[in-house]
Amino acid sequence: MNALISTAVFGIFLMISGLFIKSKQAIRILAISGVVAAFVLNIIDFRQYGASATELFHGMLSVTNFGLLFIEIILGCVLVYFLLSGKDLANIGHYTGEYFALIFFILCGVVLAATYGNMLMLFLSIEIMSIPQYILAGSDKHNLKSHEASLKYFLMGAFSTGFLLMGIALLYGATGSFDITTMNLAGRPIDAMALAGIILIAFALAFKVSAAPFHFWTPDVYDGAPTVVTSFISTIVKVGGFVAFIRLFHIAFGSPDVDKHWLLVLSIITAATLIIGNVTAVFQQSVKRMLAYSSISQAGFMLFAVIAMNVLSWQGILLYAAAYSLATIGCFAILMKMKDYTYDGYNGLAQKQPLLALMNTIFLFSLVGIPATAGFLAKYFVLSAAVEKGGLLWLVILAVCCAAISAFYYFRLIWAMYFKAGDCQVEEHAITPAFKSVLALTALLVIILGVWPGLILAWI
Amino acid sequence: MPSPSYPTLWPFLIYGILVLLLAGGMLFISHFLGERHQEKETDEVYEAGIEATGTARLLFPVHFYLIAMFFVIFDLEAVFIISWAIAIRDVGWGGYLAVVIFVAILVAVLIYEWRIGALNFGPQGKKILRAYRHKIKGVNHNEVVDKQNN
Repeated sequence: MNALISTAVFGIFLMISGLFIKSKQAIRILAISGVVAAFVLNIIDFRQYGASATELFHGMLSVTNFGLLFIEIILGCVLVYFLLSGKDLANIGHYTGEYFALIFFILCGVVLAATYGNMLMLFLSIEIMSIPQYILAGSDKHNLKSHEASLKYFLMGAFSTGFLLMGIALLYGATGSFDITTMNLAGRPIDAMALAGIILIAFALAFKVSAAPFHFWTPDVYDGAPTVVTSFISTIVKVGGFVAFIRLFHIAFGSPDVDKHWLLVLSIITAATLIIGNVTAVFQQSVKRMLAYSSISQAGFMLFAVIAMNVLSWQGILLYAAAYSLATIGCFAILMKMKDYTYDGYNGLAQKQPLLALMNTIFLFSLVGIPATAGFLAKYFVLSAAVEKGGLLWLVILAVCCAAISAFYYFRLIWAMYFKAGDCQVEEHAITPAFKSVLALTALLVIILGVWPGLILAWI
Repeated sequence: MPSPSYPTLWPFLIYGILVLLLAGGMLFISHFLGERHQEKETDEVYEAGIEATGTARLLFPVHFYLIAMFFVIFDLEAVFIISWAIAIRDVGWGGYLAVVIFVAILVAVLIYEWRIGALNFGPQGKKILRAYRHKIKGVNHNEVVDKQNN
């Protein structure tokens, strides 16, 4: 488990080095090299693990090549994030080393989420992911909204963690095991205790991935937190929550006589998430808030991978993780360069910065799910997984309708950039050739994944 | 969650309803039967019976809070190490390695805390002196401004 160890060690290393190195630039380069090192070390790990689970640390971790591939995708997205937005992250406040260290601690939690084999590790991974987020959300100390976001997130997060622990305790009472593979719910009649446990865990995880009706913290937190932090917590961490979700529900609760008990609940959660996320996003005036609601609606699509439970859904969540994270990180990176966060602030961007407008269009196309972008294939995989599962056709039709609604608010931004005259204010000095080229490479990656998903899927 | 396989769950349901009724009843009845005063000092801040000297919204140092937090952290760490010490022969070298890693993380955290100055308690002469000088300078500055205005 090179990725787990390297992210944890780099986190501590960056925390200490932030005290001794004054140059923000040097710390940023250290952090980037840390992600690259973890990326390479994880590739080396890849040969040792196959499709069947390898148990490590007495069954605490169960590593598969799916988990490792997921970690690889996450580390790649973090690399893109650091290259695009690392300067903004370093400039939130005085504590540059700490910001990067907290990001690495979150990564450590995501790695655990992709490889846990035990309910205790699930709890630990969710907590390691959450606690640094509370701090990062409040890292803009001069902004009252940032404080509000941090406190709200903390209270809501603590609440949902309570649900998670109660659910785990009830399941332990019903089955006598914390291990997700030997829990063996299928071999016995499901009693009230196990059912209550499953539902409580489902609610807690729905909280963490901001699925409706547990999404109320999301817009305020994503809006209040510094934009560069929002970019991270709405992509990497949300996707990390999903991998924990999908692994638990497929491995522990996935057998057909168990899943009939929770399938309807999660289907309703999915439907509510799709409708609420998309319809509310239509009414937003701020692009940052629109992206917050869009992250709720994209969570609705990712929930399809949880409820479908077949090979297509495993492939779908991998593609969705890459497509959604890359496109959203790109959108946020451009948003950070704007001085006005409303739709009108984008007016006339195509004349002023044609490359930025073009890249933003590609990212938005991917979020809508236009063919030949990664977002299209990701949506195709999760929806066809649901069709293959059967009995979920009403949900798939609803999702397609919601994707059509989502085109409205994404295209509104493209409309503002290309067809509205205006004088948008851009931070010109921050748009360096390096930034532009990384942005172009990210957009290229979005398109390559859209026409050749084998780049990711060939590995499992 | 009452279900046919768990007929013994209904006392729990009744207990839950009773708890709600009791808590709700207390609030409800005291709303109607409770005494009400509307006198000169009813809305005053209660400060141990004497008259309030000022607002409660003032800044105060949070050192005690920090000490309490460090106490909890280091106390908990001691608990982990003691629980290792009890099982030292059973867990063997693997356990020793785990504790070494654990203590190494503690050392890293200690270095961090030391360096950011979280362990400096009590009044610090240099800081007070600097603040005092700053204040004197500020006063002088104000006087200059006042003279110009006059």
